[in-house]
Amino acid sequence: MSAESLILFFIVGAFLVGIALLFSSYIPPTSTNPQKAETYECGIPTEGLSWLQFNVGYYLFAIIFLVFDVETVFIFPWAKVMKEAGMRGFVEIVIFFFILGIGLLYAWKKGALKWE
Amino acid sequence: MLIMRHELLLIAITVILLLIEIFLPHDKKHKIILPAILLMALVTAAGFIPGPTGVLFGGMYGTSALILLMKNILNIGVLIVFIQSVSWLKLDDQKEKISEFFILLLSTLIGMDYMISSGDFLMFYLGLELATIPIATLAAFERYKEKSAEAGVKLIFMSALSSGILLYGLSMIYGTTGTVYFPEVAATFQSTPLQILAFIFFFAGMAFKISLVPFHLWAADVYEGAPINVTSYLSVISKGAAVFIFTIILYTVFAKIALMWRDVIYVIAILTMTMGNLFAMRQRNIKRFLAFSSIAQAGFILLGIIGQSQLGMTTVIYFVLIYIFSNLGAFGVATIISNKTGKESIDDYDGFYRTNPMLSLTMMLALFSLAGIPPIAGFFGKFFLFAAAAKQGLYILVLIAVLNTIVSLYYYLLIIKAMFLNRSDQPIGYFKSDGYTRLGLAICIAGILIIGFASPVYEFILKLSYGIY
Repeated sequence: MSAESLILFFIVGAFLVGIALLFSSYIPPTSTNPQKAETYECGIPTEGLSWLQFNVGYYLFAIIFLVFDVETVFIFPWAKVMKEAGMRGFVEIVIFFFILGIGLLYAWKKGALKWE
Repeated sequence: MLIMRHELLLIAITVILLLIEIFLPHDKKHKIILPAILLMALVTAAGFIPGPTGVLFGGMYGTSALILLMKNILNIGVLIVFIQSVSWLKLDDQKEKISEFFILLLSTLIGMDYMISSGDFLMFYLGLELATIPIATLAAFERYKEKSAEAGVKLIFMSALSSGILLYGLSMIYGTTGTVYFPEVAATFQSTPLQILAFIFFFAGMAFKISLVPFHLWAADVYEGAPINVTSYLSVISKGAAVFIFTIILYTVFAKIALMWRDVIYVIAILTMTMGNLFAMRQRNIKRFLAFSSIAQAGFILLGIIGQSQLGMTTVIYFVLIYIFSNLGAFGVATIISNKTGKESIDDYDGFYRTNPMLSLTMMLALFSLAGIPPIAGFFGKFFLFAAAAKQGLYILVLIAVLNTIVSLYYYLLIIKAMFLNRSDQPIGYFKSDGYTRLGLAICIAGILIIGFASPVYEFILKLSYGIY
């Protein structure tokens, strides 16, 4: 192994990207119509610009959703091995719930659940 | 449990503070300051209680006496930052989010602790991210100030970029060695071109975090825009933690290609010291000035890393310990001036000694320590760093470093000259600093003086460093 393999690595890397782009532009069937250029391809003409200010409330909800999302990710494997994990696993999941719960409580207290 | 006690204690007090915050009424948020500082002081004290060391989770997490010492150093630094930030937190703009400051700062500290004691690259990366993301929030803490928001956005973009580069390097390491555990990577590392490329990516990613030239461009803007207490945290604690883990990984994982990374560090050290010094010279804003001075100091730390032995490790830790006290001392004075008068330009410091002699003397001591003037701690820190590099026979590097020290002396003395000699028609008026600020500065002064004159500290670190390399 020498520096040549490294140069080869870069050349092959660039080559592969080029090949992929080439294939994706030639192989699939193409159809062009004005609707394809729209921001949302749902058939209804879009109105106005997409550089809009939108309610920050959505973002808060997304973050609170994350709390439950993480909870599911962690609780599912635990539920699968609940019997084997035993009391120790149970205590650990309770601590996990406790910390997540505080996070939710904090968000609640700060008024993140209120729609303004 | 006891092996991970630093992190668990920090998590516990974070949860306690969050609970206090939830149940505190709206207009009494400032009541959290005292419990936060007391709890942090307790955790800092508890960190010094000797306890078991070892590895957990099959090698993902490990501590040694040396790593515990690093965590204790970081704890002390954060405690000082807590105490110093009180005067800023009590301002009207911040009174709604006092507890968030403490909680976010503690989460970054937890991330740093996990990062330092990581035993594989996954844990290291997780800790790094936990240490970085809350800092971006903290940089944008004064969110209605444009500069602060800008600093937060810049920091999050730059850290995303550097994390991407770092991860690319880590994925190459995993791809070529088939493992992420430090000892196994170290054993199978072969210095093939791909692995060297991986190392360079890793190095670049870490250089962003430590703000080494040429990866320093984010530092000055972020440091200037962020609230001054966050700047002091960023330039001292976060940099210190990154330096610790960088040194550990270089010494253990990349020990086989030491000859190569020595050359890289050689060049980067010269660049960092020189560029940092040259740019620091022409700054008029105290925060930007301290930002560039801390870039230059990072260059000096590289001299210790290049020492590449038990001595190198010791000198790096010793220097970071002194650097925490001296830089936080300088930032402490800048903080109280900025909070009391809103002035952050060096020109405003003219005649400061006539109105506030005690603060000027503290600033002088801290700057002398940063510059490395003999009887004070900073001198010994730098001296040992140079000695570590000289022991490797790198005399030219040491010579350049010494020349840089002289250059740095010039701009540190400029501030002292402004405070003591320059006359001004409108000097900053006399103000009485509050008890917290005095306590914070007193700790810094004590640290600067005691560590400079007490050789047991150095001996102690030297004893612990045995066996890391």
